[in-house]
Amino acid sequence: MEVSQYLNVFMDECQEHLQTLNQSLLALEQDPENTEILNSIFRAAHTLKGASATMGFNKMSNVTHELEDVLSLLRQNELQVSAELVNVLFEALDLLEVLAQGIAEGREEDVEITGVIQNLQKFGNKERKAGPTQTEERRKTLQLRYLPAEIEHIKEMASTGLTLNHLHVYLQEDCLLKGARAFMILRELEAHGDVVRTIPTSKELEDEQFENEFIIGILSKKPLDFLVRFLEKMLDVAKVEGETISPEALLVERRGVQTNANTNGDPDHQKTSYTKAPSNVSPTVRVDIRKLDDLMNLVGELVITRSRLEQLSSEKGDQIMEETVEQLSRLTMDLRDQVLKTRMVPVDHVFSRFPRLVRDLARETGKEIQLQITGAETELDRTVIDEIVDPMVHIIRNCVDHGIETPEERNALGKPNPGTVELNAYQAGNNVVIEISDDGAGLKLDKIRAKALERGVVSAEELENMDEEEISNLIFLPGFSTSEKVTDISGRGVGMDVVKTQITNLGGIVQLQSVEGEGTKFTIRLPLTLAIIQTLIVQLGNDVFAIPSTLIDQTISVAKKDIKLLRNREVTFHRGEVIPLIRLQEFLEVQEAKNMALDELDVVVVSNGERRIGFVVDTLLRQQDVVIKSLGAYLGNIPGIAGATILGNGKIALILDLRSVA
Amino acid sequence: MKEKKEKQEETTQIIVFKLGEEEFGVNILQVREIEKLDQGITRVPRAPHFVEGIINLRGEIIPIVDLRARFGLTLPELGLNSRVIIVEVGEALVGMLVDAVEEVLRIPVSAIEPAPTITKGVDSYFLAGVAKIDERLVVLLNLERTLSPEEEKELNEAELG
Repeated sequence: MEVSQYLNVFMDECQEHLQTLNQSLLALEQDPENTEILNSIFRAAHTLKGASATMGFNKMSNVTHELEDVLSLLRQNELQVSAELVNVLFEALDLLEVLAQGIAEGREEDVEITGVIQNLQKFGNKERKAGPTQTEERRKTLQLRYLPAEIEHIKEMASTGLTLNHLHVYLQEDCLLKGARAFMILRELEAHGDVVRTIPTSKELEDEQFENEFIIGILSKKPLDFLVRFLEKMLDVAKVEGETISPEALLVERRGVQTNANTNGDPDHQKTSYTKAPSNVSPTVRVDIRKLDDLMNLVGELVITRSRLEQLSSEKGDQIMEETVEQLSRLTMDLRDQVLKTRMVPVDHVFSRFPRLVRDLARETGKEIQLQITGAETELDRTVIDEIVDPMVHIIRNCVDHGIETPEERNALGKPNPGTVELNAYQAGNNVVIEISDDGAGLKLDKIRAKALERGVVSAEELENMDEEEISNLIFLPGFSTSEKVTDISGRGVGMDVVKTQITNLGGIVQLQSVEGEGTKFTIRLPLTLAIIQTLIVQLGNDVFAIPSTLIDQTISVAKKDIKLLRNREVTFHRGEVIPLIRLQEFLEVQEAKNMALDELDVVVVSNGERRIGFVVDTLLRQQDVVIKSLGAYLGNIPGIAGATILGNGKIALILDLRSVA
Repeated sequence: MKEKKEKQEETTQIIVFKLGEEEFGVNILQVREIEKLDQGITRVPRAPHFVEGIINLRGEIIPIVDLRARFGLTLPELGLNSRVIIVEVGEALVGMLVDAVEEVLRIPVSAIEPAPTITKGVDSYFLAGVAKIDERLVVLLNLERTLSPEEEKELNEAELG
């Protein structure tokens, strides 16, 4: 089999199943009795086992196999959900994630799996007996089922005077060579009738894969009494229970259900596991993200062509033509919105991994924490979703590590236990807002002030003029960490500044509000999509440039006489604030520009959240939505240039990223 | 063997173009298309010096490399015959600015020889070989190296040497 062409599909499914496992395990930990959750875990593990075995990923299939063994014991109530067991299961799940990563990178073989396998086997084999395996309970789980064809056969035989008897044989506890004994019993019994089926199967009996009991289904002319007494006389047999079964009362074995004793739970159990399809999932088609990107590009082209057509038709002044173009415009925009929507993914994709994170962090730190998630259905562009994970993980780690107090501290403060971390997402205009809040200790402003001075990130004078929120936001500056003890969760001194950079790179903003003693709230504001952005088009010399509107604070007009020199740099005063000015041509290191000769200057004021800088251009042209195109590997890393776009007239405008200056 | 199978001898096709008066060639399999320069090139501030700018090729943004600057050759300004050869390098499309495109040649692989250290002012680092066809000498480019954005260092060394 040519593996590579299926690898993507496999990896996608793998991720889905791993996610299911993760979510379900968390749920199971909370609700150990819930068989439905258990079944969904089992299904996911089972599917993964099959898929990885088919693809030839042996290590993954080994691990899932062992996992499945443990899970099937759980399903039969032969094993109880315990904290230790859940940890082992999580460990296995983590390993599967590492293996998936390894497979993606083509180095599955390098992953070490023996430790986890041993832990699983400990539960899978040894502890099997530790569960509630009293005979009474076990008897219920031993049930003979028949294939439809066998039932037909039995019915036929019944009409010829044969009866079907179930003989439940219990061997003596000290019986040696149980397998051989069972084999002997079956062989002797063949003399008195036709053994249709046994549970466990005859092969398993021979291989000694059973405890001390088994059931034989036999078609015989002999009365039940005779058969029971016949078996009771045999060596090593402790007890025999017999029952005559009418063909109508036979249990049907469903296809796909494993036939060995270990998975034959009660009938209801099996019904839920095999007939219940995933419920709240609408039919979907899996599409390569690149196809969506191509589609997006084409729509981008269409939007551009539409602008050109609009221009032409307005020049012509033909009313019918103008109306038609207008209609085309509306259709184009609808199409664009729809295509954008296909790229949207619910933030649940990211949020769903956090319950696990919070659980693990809570255990590590010995804190009691509940995670509340709202707005997980809010949608965000795929490209943004992928990038938002890291910063969010970091913030959540901080909430748990620095925010939430230990249970003792919370009790002393009269705060409720467990502490709460809340994730909330919602759409606001062209932005998606994600809030991460905790009801923990909040930031200690005094400590931040002291640290900021110590690190020299601000002067004492600057600090004087800052309000509480500004002080809180100092933690986003490079090299800032106020944690007193360095833990391996956070407090390594890299962190919040990285978070800020990552979010800013997405065209987003992160802010922080904190009330000492009451908690902290991070607010992340992200653009809905990275593909189309709103820009201000400006002219400089003979070229036009696009400046993303998200960066722009305001545009102002400055008279030449209002430009002052401060430390040899141009500045202007605007509403009592000093705004440093930079001529765009200097920033871009280009020659042509007309603004030096102008008396009234157009200035675009750009803010990066902390500082504001005015960029002097030649002319402000218009606002325009543009499709971002990457400049590729060749020119992709030029500071100050985020990409390019094609304007309605076919000309290229560079998209400027002015934050790198501010 | 060469005598026996003259007709079936392995051949390759190259596109021959001019930088100044010298003839260069690229494997035709790597060439996507050849464009006139009528739309103008948008300059990119702070780009490497050998990148002339970018063009809009039916909605795709393509960087344009000035081979003369890349090889450190001093040559006259672009003229009417100037063309952009759009080539595929890895997954990316890159345009090469040349003075003129001459013809497509089918040449026997055996006519290609390794390039000397410096050929017509171009460092052999950038070259795939030299093809001798009758009296002509066509310098074949190694596009991966010629158009790699990461080889600035070697380029500078080449310029110095």
